[in-house]
Amino acid sequence: MSVNIWTIVMVAVFGLVAIGLYGLLIIRNLIKVVVALQIFAKGTILVMVAAGAMSGKPAVGQSLAITVLVADTVVTVMALALAIQVRRWSGTLDTREISKLRR
Amino acid sequence: MSPAVIDMSVTWLLPLTVFLPWVGAAAVLVAGRAGRTLRALAITFAVADAVLSILLIPQASSRTGFSLVLGGAFGELSFLPDGFGVYLAAVAAVIGCLAVIFSVDYMRGEEGQSRYYSLVLFFIGAMSGLVLSANLLMMVVFWEITALCSWALISFHNDDPKAVAGGIKALIVTGLGGAGLLAGALAIYAQIGSFDIPTFMEKAGGFPPQLLAWIGFAFLAAAAAKSAQFPFQTWLPDAMEAPTPISALIHAATMVNAGVYLLARFAPTFSPVPGWSLSVLLVGMVSAFLAASMATVANDLKRVLAWSTVSQLGFMVYAIGAGAVFQSQFHLLSHSVFKALLFLGAGAVIHSVGTRDMREMGGLARSMPLTCVAFLIGALALAGIPPLNGFWSKEMVLESGLASGPFWAYIVMLVTVGLTALYTLRAVWMVFFAPPVAQHAHEAGPAMKTALIPLAAGALVSWLLAGPFHDLFLRTLPLHFPEAHAEAAGMAATWTAALEVLSAPATWLAVGVVVVGALVWAGRSGFAWIGTRLRGLRRVAEAGYGFEAINHGISKAVEGTGEGLRVTQSGLVNWNVGAMVIAVIVLLGIVLLVGGLGG
Amino acid sequence: MGWPLELDLLWPSWVWMIALPIVTSPLVYLLGRVFQRVRDASEKRRPRGAWKANPIRWVSFGIMVLSVVPFVAAWSELAAGRTLELTVGIISLKFDGISLLLSAAVLVLGALVSLFSGPYIGHETGQEKYHALLNAMIGAMLGMGCAADLFNLWIWFETIAVASYMLVAYHSDQPASLEAGVKYLVQNSAGSMLVLLAIGLVFSQTGTLNLAELRAAIAAGTGSRLLLIASGALFFIGFGVKIAMVPMHTWLPDAHSQAPSGISAMLSGVVIETGVVALLRALGVIAEITSMWGALLLAFGAVNMIVGNLMALRQTQVKRLLAFSSLTHVGYMLLGLGFAVSFGQPEGAQGSAFHLLTHAAMKGLAFLAAGSLLYALRISRGDHGPLEAADLAGAGRRYPLIALAFTIALLSLAGLPPLGGFMSKWQIFASGVRAGSPLAIALVVFGVLNSLLSFAYYAPLVSLMYRTTPSAAVTAGAKVPAGMTVPLVLLAVVVVAFGVWPALASGLTVPAGQVVLAIFTRQGGM
Repeated sequence: MSVNIWTIVMVAVFGLVAIGLYGLLIIRNLIKVVVALQIFAKGTILVMVAAGAMSGKPAVGQSLAITVLVADTVVTVMALALAIQVRRWSGTLDTREISKLRR
Repeated sequence: MSPAVIDMSVTWLLPLTVFLPWVGAAAVLVAGRAGRTLRALAITFAVADAVLSILLIPQASSRTGFSLVLGGAFGELSFLPDGFGVYLAAVAAVIGCLAVIFSVDYMRGEEGQSRYYSLVLFFIGAMSGLVLSANLLMMVVFWEITALCSWALISFHNDDPKAVAGGIKALIVTGLGGAGLLAGALAIYAQIGSFDIPTFMEKAGGFPPQLLAWIGFAFLAAAAAKSAQFPFQTWLPDAMEAPTPISALIHAATMVNAGVYLLARFAPTFSPVPGWSLSVLLVGMVSAFLAASMATVANDLKRVLAWSTVSQLGFMVYAIGAGAVFQSQFHLLSHSVFKALLFLGAGAVIHSVGTRDMREMGGLARSMPLTCVAFLIGALALAGIPPLNGFWSKEMVLESGLASGPFWAYIVMLVTVGLTALYTLRAVWMVFFAPPVAQHAHEAGPAMKTALIPLAAGALVSWLLAGPFHDLFLRTLPLHFPEAHAEAAGMAATWTAALEVLSAPATWLAVGVVVVGALVWAGRSGFAWIGTRLRGLRRVAEAGYGFEAINHGISKAVEGTGEGLRVTQSGLVNWNVGAMVIAVIVLLGIVLLVGGLGG
Repeated sequence: MGWPLELDLLWPSWVWMIALPIVTSPLVYLLGRVFQRVRDASEKRRPRGAWKANPIRWVSFGIMVLSVVPFVAAWSELAAGRTLELTVGIISLKFDGISLLLSAAVLVLGALVSLFSGPYIGHETGQEKYHALLNAMIGAMLGMGCAADLFNLWIWFETIAVASYMLVAYHSDQPASLEAGVKYLVQNSAGSMLVLLAIGLVFSQTGTLNLAELRAAIAAGTGSRLLLIASGALFFIGFGVKIAMVPMHTWLPDAHSQAPSGISAMLSGVVIETGVVALLRALGVIAEITSMWGALLLAFGAVNMIVGNLMALRQTQVKRLLAFSSLTHVGYMLLGLGFAVSFGQPEGAQGSAFHLLTHAAMKGLAFLAAGSLLYALRISRGDHGPLEAADLAGAGRRYPLIALAFTIALLSLAGLPPLGGFMSKWQIFASGVRAGSPLAIALVVFGVLNSLLSFAYYAPLVSLMYRTTPSAAVTAGAKVPAGMTVPLVLLAVVVVAFGVWPALASGLTVPAGQVVLAIFTRQGGM
């Protein structure tokens, strides 16, 4: 087998990314949208780790992954805060309902 | 005066003539509220600029007088005081000055006067800059600034939706042509690395013929749009929503001349291009004829004058197409004077009676005697009755057309001359001599009279300048008149030319046609059966021969597309992300395909 | 001190320029809270009624102005030919021509927005948050302009995004603002993740993230070509969300119209442009492999122009119309860059750089003017509805200065001389025609026609303002504070100045243009 283990890992991780994106397409609950975004993000972080390993610099890849993790946490906190506010002032978490701004 | 002194004075006279009105525009804007200060400022700057522009005339030369480099693709600010430039700048400034004086009475009591006078002054400066420019970028800049002022002044009465729509339409239609000027200017820059006009005209022979043809026709489109020639004529009648002094200044005497100016200046460069001169001639001929026919059926006084302007500009364009640049410019001079006169007279009438519809006027000869005389002088000049200026210049145009253009075109122009007489007489009669319909009409105010009288005098005598005018051209335009031999200079040339015109049989043919036109009007009851037979044609003429429909169709199509596109802004975040995902997939596909093939 | 100005205290001057706004941001927040506590306490003792703007705005504005000093120092050093670099571990920063351009636009617009926002949000709660976040966002933009490795770039990019999410949803009790914020967050995060994926792909193939090293490695042929090209596509889409390329643009009309007007000005004026800069930096490393990036830039540019115009044509809300118009102007910038990259036209890059400056000025002016009217007509009376075009009727008489400023902005956006918008578009079109290919010329004609079309929706707004009968909103409108009119006047002067003396900008546009061409031509190095 001449296929690198890390190539398989990459493909699997891109699969995770695809699941996250697919979730963003069909999910209607705002909290679940955040979850889908998270799946997408974690997949990307794993790509970072795999990339580091593939290119022979695992340490760099991992430290980058941790940095992204931190940045992503901030974004998640903000997203959830916004979701709470939306629930409070619009009374719903359904993406179809919070689509008043259109055309 | 020694040449050094002449050069020095031209160096500051040129930018001053162009930019002094701009200073005035800023001053007027700051002055704010309407009042004597405002009007005094406006009149002072307008008169000062008129004086400066007249002082510029003796300084005319074929060398660039002022130059300021701006760098790179921005060329340089340079002015060239040659024959075309100085006389058109003088026309713009002098008629501008008269329009400002006229506006004192016409705009009395209106809102936003500081905006009005500021825009008029801004326009006068830009127009002078346009005709004096020796640099294509600067010409485009001034061209667009005049378009801006035109839009702002047409839609001056912002509460009137027709005015707002008319302004936007004017800018967009002239802008379509303006795109041609811009593209042409950039193409010239790409070819020779400079925007300088004299340089371009020298090197034009070295351009690839295909490129020169494209530029030539692009310039023709720009000129046709600006001068409201076929097929871009639809904006001018709608521009009549502007206050009448603006119609006189911008849409009769100055801005619409810009197209004719463009064609005249670049005529020697593009006339070698196969088909160019013929196209120019055809554009002029068709515009002249169609517009004259539309003027015959219009009932709005300003609309008649608007179509008349298109028609007369058509004569000028026709002349250029026939290679008669001087004749076209001479007719332009006459036209500016008598058309401004007609519009200001119409302005006095409209201001007094309160309507533009000629069917609601009549019998005004008694209540507005001075206006009537002034208007009549303008009308006779337009119709081409000797010894008014319109007669001499029109005959020159027709003669040169007969000499160097196709014969069938000459016949069409001759018929147009007849139509001109017809619609002119019709307008004069309906306004001044028909049985009175209007209740109250007062004579024009003092400021209006102050503007009308010089113009009327001009219409009577401006033709006497033919000789010196010709000399000016010979002296400063080597490319147009390469065989500048020592001719009878000054006024003597005028008399020579006058005698030539009077002795040509074509002249008397044309006068005969004019008389026929007048007689047709006089005996119109007898010709009524023609009217009923041609009713269908009349309806077509009133509807603008389908061009209005085309304009309308295009704007509706654009709006419809925009409206249809709004669906994409659905507001649903899922759809939005979906668009992103589709974009990723499609782009990946394209990129990998092209990349895989080694692109 | 001589010239060039050397202000290297511990760190180089340009690092100070980035550090000042960011490091002081939490301090601004804390100090602002202190001021607020003091004000609340004194209100309890002696109620004075009217809610005054938090004085922290002066501190925030002061920091902005102070940051200009190290910027000028860095500019003088760059102009003298010095290389300005800093590497700490795997993080590297570099101040070059593009950084210069972006920093100039960000600092000037940022300072003016800071000044403007003081009275604008003067009636709201949480003003200290706003000012702190604005400073942080500005600092992050300055940092991103100087990023010299991909990861650094991404971190700064993410910081800008996070700060802007909170600023867009600043009116956190308005459902419309929240909706705009949510959609902006979801789409922008997705975009950021796509960029990260691309970075991961590049890293996996080459093992380095430093822009210069990457360029050398890829030119030498390291890594799978197809994967690197795929990463290019991901960069396009990922950054494309931020740049608002069609079809990733749908967040823009909502976010730009719901954000407080100062933030709208920043978003349209400079934040979009940071996306363009980031895209250029990222594409620069893979430019060697294929020449299709230029074609993609041209394609996206053309589509943006027409979509922006057609959508703007049908808008009745003023800020939404301006947001769609930003799409069109991004299109012009992409077109200029496309001419530079595809046909090697330096004027194309310079024109885009110039358009970046003029757009920041005129769109900033437009949003601030619209914001002033929004404040006067609605916000001051507690109405959080959007500014409708019909509200503008008659504003020219009641608010002459604002109306004139808005008119200058709108006419400049339409590309009419003698204003800046005409000159920058002219330079872009000139480069296209110089390129000579029929495609380039067709695109130029397309661009000119689009410019004409845009007039059809700018002109009615101007006409509305100069009507004689004012709308009900104008009659009942409040006065506009001086803090809001001063930025308007300054920006209007800038717009006119660029129009009559376009060479003023060449000190900024020429270095930026050189860097862009150096990145994308096959012979150039970093």
